[in-house]
Amino acid sequence: MLKDIFVTPFADMFSAPDFLLQVLWEGLVSGVLYALIALGFVLIFRSSRIFNFAQGIMVVFAALTLVGLHSFGIPAWISVVLTLGVMFVLAVSIERVVLRPLVGQPDIILFMATIGITLFLIGFGEIIFGGENKVMISEELGIPTGDTVLEPWGGLLILQHLDMTVVVVAVALVGGLLAFLNYTQMGRAIRALGDDHQAALSVGISLQTVWVLVWFIAGIIALVTGIAWGARAGVSFALEVIAYKALPVLMLGGLESITGAIIGGLLIGILEKLFEIYWGQPLLGGNTETWFAFVLALIVLLFRPQGLFGERIIERV
Amino acid sequence: MKHFTKLAIAAVVAGITAGSAIAQELYAPNLAYRTGPFAATGIPLMNGQADYLAMLNARDGGVGGVPVNAEECETGYSTEKGVECYEKTKDRSIVTQPWSTGITLQVLPKTNIDMIPILAPGYGFSPMMDGKTFQWAFNAPAGYWDAADMIIQFIEGQGDLNGKKVAFLHLDHPFGKEPLPVLEAAAEAKGFELVPIPVGLKEMQNQSAQWLQIRRERPDYVVMWGWGAMNAGAITEAVKTKFPMENMIGVWWSGHDADLAIVGDKGKGYKSISWSFPNADAPVMADIQKHVIDAGKSQTNDAEMSGVFYGRGIIISAILAEGIASAQAHFGTGEINAEQLRWGLENINMTEERINELGLNGMVAPFSTSCGNHTGHSGGWMLEWDGAKFVKVSDHLMPNVDSYAELANAKAAEYAEANAPWPVNEDCGG
Repeated sequence: MLKDIFVTPFADMFSAPDFLLQVLWEGLVSGVLYALIALGFVLIFRSSRIFNFAQGIMVVFAALTLVGLHSFGIPAWISVVLTLGVMFVLAVSIERVVLRPLVGQPDIILFMATIGITLFLIGFGEIIFGGENKVMISEELGIPTGDTVLEPWGGLLILQHLDMTVVVVAVALVGGLLAFLNYTQMGRAIRALGDDHQAALSVGISLQTVWVLVWFIAGIIALVTGIAWGARAGVSFALEVIAYKALPVLMLGGLESITGAIIGGLLIGILEKLFEIYWGQPLLGGNTETWFAFVLALIVLLFRPQGLFGERIIERV
Repeated sequence: MKHFTKLAIAAVVAGITAGSAIAQELYAPNLAYRTGPFAATGIPLMNGQADYLAMLNARDGGVGGVPVNAEECETGYSTEKGVECYEKTKDRSIVTQPWSTGITLQVLPKTNIDMIPILAPGYGFSPMMDGKTFQWAFNAPAGYWDAADMIIQFIEGQGDLNGKKVAFLHLDHPFGKEPLPVLEAAAEAKGFELVPIPVGLKEMQNQSAQWLQIRRERPDYVVMWGWGAMNAGAITEAVKTKFPMENMIGVWWSGHDADLAIVGDKGKGYKSISWSFPNADAPVMADIQKHVIDAGKSQTNDAEMSGVFYGRGIIISAILAEGIASAQAHFGTGEINAEQLRWGLENINMTEERINELGLNGMVAPFSTSCGNHTGHSGGWMLEWDGAKFVKVSDHLMPNVDSYAELANAKAAEYAEANAPWPVNEDCGG
């Protein structure tokens, strides 16, 4: 038994390094996608202390809007622009109709409000788009669908062009987001609100504007995530469940940290894949990905309750 | 006082009127799932079911002249909501259609007490084939063990299975685990290695780990028990990892046109065993077009109507209607109750002639049910994706029921013992 746990997995890694590379690559791609979803949560939480339960359904809604608009004969990239417009309208509506009346209410009320938004978007989306599985317009958007086959150490490594594109786009998106947050006035306003609500308001930062902005950015992230996941297995309401994969990422990385979301996502993506392939499948019958990330996050929380990159809260009385 | 008397009379009259209005229909609710992660597979099935019954109502005034009320109760494929729907509808219903193996297992013991037949065509608990033990449950025209057996027979037809490896990719859910006993028995009997690979509900759309395992195990075949988003996830991963599609075979719920449309030509060769087949030229399709689609009473569309799942929905409602008709003829009344429908479902005789008479030409194979046989074992066909649609690539296949009949009886007895006291139909000779 001890040999199966401590020796065999590593022997397998060394005996088939090409396969190990494939596992790491698949883990990296999953991790990037987890990080993207987690980023949507973090941005909203940083600026408003709201845990946005609706992030998953926003992914579905954005992807369905894009595919739906294109089905009316609108060219793909114009559909993308229009979808961004829809996500902006959604952000404004959420701020105006849901959040503004609840300013000053306890966090749990705002959290419950995002559950309400989720239920509304599920119903509204099903009425408008129907529940059928739809094909993502990958080709029309120019997303490459082929693959590159490499033979490291005489083995086999398949790199999907779609996955490579997802990684590149995600890196660009995160880079752009970090630049926006650090080097623009509005970005600094978002960070200021995250650091200290009262202080930010006292220097004239508009809560309403920032909320609309962060929900819109979360909408952009949702659209990118929806395209990436939808191109892999179609667009349907099942995409909503992938949001749950972001929960352990947030626990691990910290709810307030953009760096935490990125590193947490990558760590979980790679580690859960390694564990599943080398320990889970041979020893536990597989399907460990459903719980591994949560266990990992719980272990981290035991030692760092604020997550790996979360801010340590010190309250003096 | 006068005023009160008038009110009382009005209430009584209203009650009688309402009562007679309710009695003038056969209430056959459907525990549908048009929402949630499995909606993509649910919608065409529900549309097919609803449209067939709407057609009967419009064309014939229902079954035996009594309209069928096929009201839907939305479950989202959630077992908890399914049980709620069952409880909500059981007082008036003559049948329950649970639409999930999980819900079926939950309501199975309740139907003994409530005396409502479960109609679960092609799904549910496979030992339900033993009508003596499961007197209220029906999964005609075929069960999951039939499917597993036919798939193994088909693979065996391509060469000896001894020494081969078969991966069993399945949803980690009661539905996905259902055929395991038959597959394990077959592996032992035929000398092939069975590698079960579960897919969690949250991993349906990202099955890279499962397909890495398949790449490492190098199975000769992949048998898939997928549902909803799992199907598209698996098929796209199979294409991605360059697994030979002709060696991948799914159960009938893994043969949905929309799932394969995502990969298009790259999915050519993928197979799915099926007890139904869509036939656009069947007379029933023209009747549905005339009485339901053209009348604006349907939620379907052209693409969906030509697919496997819409056609299957039609057959499912046709089986229900045949059960009703059979009971009506036997008991000499149009307004049958649940107990009478149970008798009807036990006495379905879908011969080739009857299938054609119903306008279902080529859409289902002949089968019959009896007191002891609640599955019917119609057999089916192996369908193959040709890049745009599913086509038949086999003759009519029949399951070798004898090979697992003993297992079914043993599992049924085990279930009855675990749920004792379990009423068994002692009058049933088989």
